[in-house]
Amino acid sequence: MTLSLSDPTWYPIASSEDLPFRHVYQGQLLGRELAVWRADDGNVNVWENRCLHRGVRLSIGINEGGELKCQYHGWRYANRSAGCTYIPAHPADAPARRIENRTYPVREAYGLVWSSANNDIAFTPFPGADSADWFALRPMPANAAPEDVHAALVRLAPDDQPAELLPGLALRLDGTLYFVQPVDAGRSVIRGLLAGQPDDALTTLRHYNEILTKLRDRLERAAARKPAPTPLQPIFEKVAVDLATMPEIAIPRGNTMPVVVKRKWTSADGVIGFELAARDGHLPTFQPGAHIDVHLPNGLIRQYSITNGPGELMSYIIGVKQESASKGGSKILVDTVREGDLLSISEPRNNFPLRRDAVRSVLIAGGIGITPLLSMARFLDKSSLPYELHYFTRAGEQVAFRGDLEALHGKVILHTGLPRAEIASTIATALGEWSRAQHVYVCGPSAMLESVRTTAAAQGWPDEAIHFEYFKNDKVIDDSSSFEIELARSAMTLHVPSGRTILEIMRENGLTVPSSCEQGACGTCLTTVMEGEVDHQDVYLNDSEKRSNACMMTCVSRAKSARLVLDI
Amino acid sequence: MITLYDFELSGNCYKLRLLMSILKLRYDIVPVDFYPGRQHKADWFLKLNPFGQLPVLKDDELVLSDSGAILAYLAKKYDEAGLWFPDDPAITAEILRWHAVADDITATSSAARLVLGMFYDFDLEKAQKGAHRIFRLMDEHLWFGEREGRDWLCSPAHPTTADIACFPYVMLSEEGGISRQDYPALRRWTDRVRRIPGFMVMSGIFPAGRALETT
Ligand code: FES
Repeated sequence: MTLSLSDPTWYPIASSEDLPFRHVYQGQLLGRELAVWRADDGNVNVWENRCLHRGVRLSIGINEGGELKCQYHGWRYANRSAGCTYIPAHPADAPARRIENRTYPVREAYGLVWSSANNDIAFTPFPGADSADWFALRPMPANAAPEDVHAALVRLAPDDQPAELLPGLALRLDGTLYFVQPVDAGRSVIRGLLAGQPDDALTTLRHYNEILTKLRDRLERAAARKPAPTPLQPIFEKVAVDLATMPEIAIPRGNTMPVVVKRKWTSADGVIGFELAARDGHLPTFQPGAHIDVHLPNGLIRQYSITNGPGELMSYIIGVKQESASKGGSKILVDTVREGDLLSISEPRNNFPLRRDAVRSVLIAGGIGITPLLSMARFLDKSSLPYELHYFTRAGEQVAFRGDLEALHGKVILHTGLPRAEIASTIATALGEWSRAQHVYVCGPSAMLESVRTTAAAQGWPDEAIHFEYFKNDKVIDDSSSFEIELARSAMTLHVPSGRTILEIMRENGLTVPSSCEQGACGTCLTTVMEGEVDHQDVYLNDSEKRSNACMMTCVSRAKSARLVLDI
Repeated sequence: MITLYDFELSGNCYKLRLLMSILKLRYDIVPVDFYPGRQHKADWFLKLNPFGQLPVLKDDELVLSDSGAILAYLAKKYDEAGLWFPDDPAITAEILRWHAVADDITATSSAARLVLGMFYDFDLEKAQKGAHRIFRLMDEHLWFGEREGRDWLCSPAHPTTADIACFPYVMLSEEGGISRQDYPALRRWTDRVRRIPGFMVMSGIFPAGRALETT
C-alpha cells in the first residue's frame, strides 16, 4: 500500500484527552500538519497548521475559546468557520469575511478525534463501534512507515487467534482495536482502544504502553536499516494577495440566506430577543460590532446588530426594540414573526469595527444600543483585554441580556434611571482624560451619541478614538442642489432638481432600486459612482469611503459636480 | 542587591529571569555578549566564573554560577513559602534529578540550537537525536503524571525549580530543528508552565492562553 495525499479515509488524529482547556494540539495526517483545538462550546477544529498571513504554525497560537490567535502577527480565526476576524495591520477596519483558513473534516467519537484529508467520504464508525464504552490507550508515535507498523501489529496476534483486519489501517486483536495514523510516509502513531473501562486504569495503561514501546523500538530499528521513504509533499497554498490584504473599501453587497427563528423571547421590558439559526451547519464569520440586514415579511429591510461572542456561529442572537410608534419595521418582527418561521438575512457586515490593540476600551450603550456593545464586550472578554461597559437604561426592567452581561468578567456598570444632567457627568467620569491607545465605542439614542462626542472631545479624545454606530441619520439633509445623473448601464440621463432625491427620480423613471431607511443610515441603496463629485450626506459610509468618491447613498446624497455617472 | 550577568538569548539565563520574575525579585542586569562577542571567555568574565559559562549571579558579595545551582539558591533564600525547592529530602532528590535532566537538555537541544542559530561546530544529528530521546522520556513521565493527577515534573502539587530548569530548552527546541509534535503531554506541560503567575517571555518563547479559572 502506498500512501496517497488524497486518501479520503478517516483516521484518528488525536485522543479527546489531548485537547484540554484552551490548548492547541499539533497533529499531522498524510504529511499535512494540523492545528487541532477545542473551542469553549465543545466544537473541535481541525485546521491546516498555518496562519494564512505568513505561514507561521497555528499550533503555537493562542486558543481564546472562540477564536484562535496567531502569536506572530495577531491574525485571528473563528471557531467552526476558520474565517479571519481580525488583521492587526488594519485595526480600523475588519477583514473581508471570505479570508478563511483551510479546514479538514472532524468527528469526535470513542475517545478519539478523527479527520480525513478531504470530504470525499462520510465518517463511518468501525465495525462494532457502538457495542462498547471505549477506553483510549496512550498513543505511541513511531518513526516507521504506516504499512510496516500495521503489519507488525498484525504479527502480535497469536497463531490460533489471528488479527481481524479492518479498513483504514486498523485491526482488532483479542478485543483491542488498533489504528495506525499515517502521519507521513515514514512516521505513524499507534492509537489503541479497549472495549470497556478497565478496573485498574493505570496498570492497564502501563501494560499496553510497555507492549507498544517494545513494538515501536523494534520497528524503528528495522526502519533505520531501510532507506527512509520520501516524505509526502502536501502543497501549502498561501492565501492570494488580494484576499489577504484589505480592499480599500469593503462593501459586500452579498446575497441573502435563510435562517430559522429558533427562539423568540422577552429579554427585557420593550426588548424582544430573536435567535436565528442556520438551517444546517454554521453561519458566516462575523466581527464584533457587525450587523445583519433582516428582510421582513412586509418587504422592508432592517438592520440588527449581532450580540454573539467570538466563534459563536451556530446562530445569531439579535435584540429588537418594541417600538410604541407603529413604525412598520421592528413592529412586524415583534408582532408577527414566530418561532419556527423562516427569515432571510444578509451576510454580516461591519460598520463598527473594534480595535483589539487598545490598552483600554470604553463601551457606552443606551437602551437597545447594548446589542453591538455586548458582542464587543464578549470578544474583549475572551481575549482578556481590559474594557468597561456602561449601560444606560431608564429603568431596571429595561436591562436587556442581563444574564449574558452578568457572565462577563470585565467591568460592567449598569446606570438605571439617571436624570439627564447626571448622564452627562457619568459619561464624563466613565471616559476620563484620553491617553494613547484608548478607544470609546458608543451606540444609543442620538442625544447620547452627541453627549459622548462632545464630552470626549472636551477631555482630549481625538476623533479616531471615538467610534459610533448609527442606525439613524439625524443630520439635516441639504437638498437644495440640482444636477444631472447619467445611469451608465441603463443608458439614461436624468435631471435631479432641488427638493427631490436621486432615488425618487430613478423610480419615477421606471427603475427598480432597493432602499430601506431612506435616510442614509442603512446602506441598502449603496451605488457605485463612476464619475463626478459626490455630496455625501449619509452616516453610513466612513470618511475614507466618502473621500474615495467611488460610492454613494442615492437616498440622501447629491452631487457637487454638475453631473454624476452611476453604475446602474 | 542581586546582579545577573545575562545574555538575552540564553535559555540558561532566562531560567533565572523567570524564577526571579515569579518570586517578584528586583535585580540588575549586566549584559554579556555571548554571541557573537564571546565575552564569556573574556578575562574579566573568567575572573567571575573560571568555567567561562553564563549565567553568573551576584547577590551582594556572593558570586554564583551554574543555572541549576542558582535556581536552588534563589528558591531557598527568597521563596518564603518554600514551594520552589522544598526541604523534604525525597523531593530534593527528585528536583536534583531533573536539574541533571535539564543539563542533558542543554547538551542536546540547546547544542542543536547553537549549531543552527549561532553556527557552532557540534554534531547536529547527534544533538537532535539526544533531545528526542529525552523528550520521549519526559512525555511518558508527564503523560502518566496527568493520569495520576500530577501536573509537574516532580511529585508536589505545584511547580518546582525542576520545571523552570527544564522548560527553556524544551521551548526553544524548534530553533534546533527538534519538533515537539510527537510529545503532546510535553506540549501540555509547557502550557502549564507558561500559565504560572509571574511568567515572563523571552525571544522565541510566547505566552500561553488563559488558564481554566477555578473560582
Ligand atoms: S436607503 Fe438606507 S442608506 Fe439609503
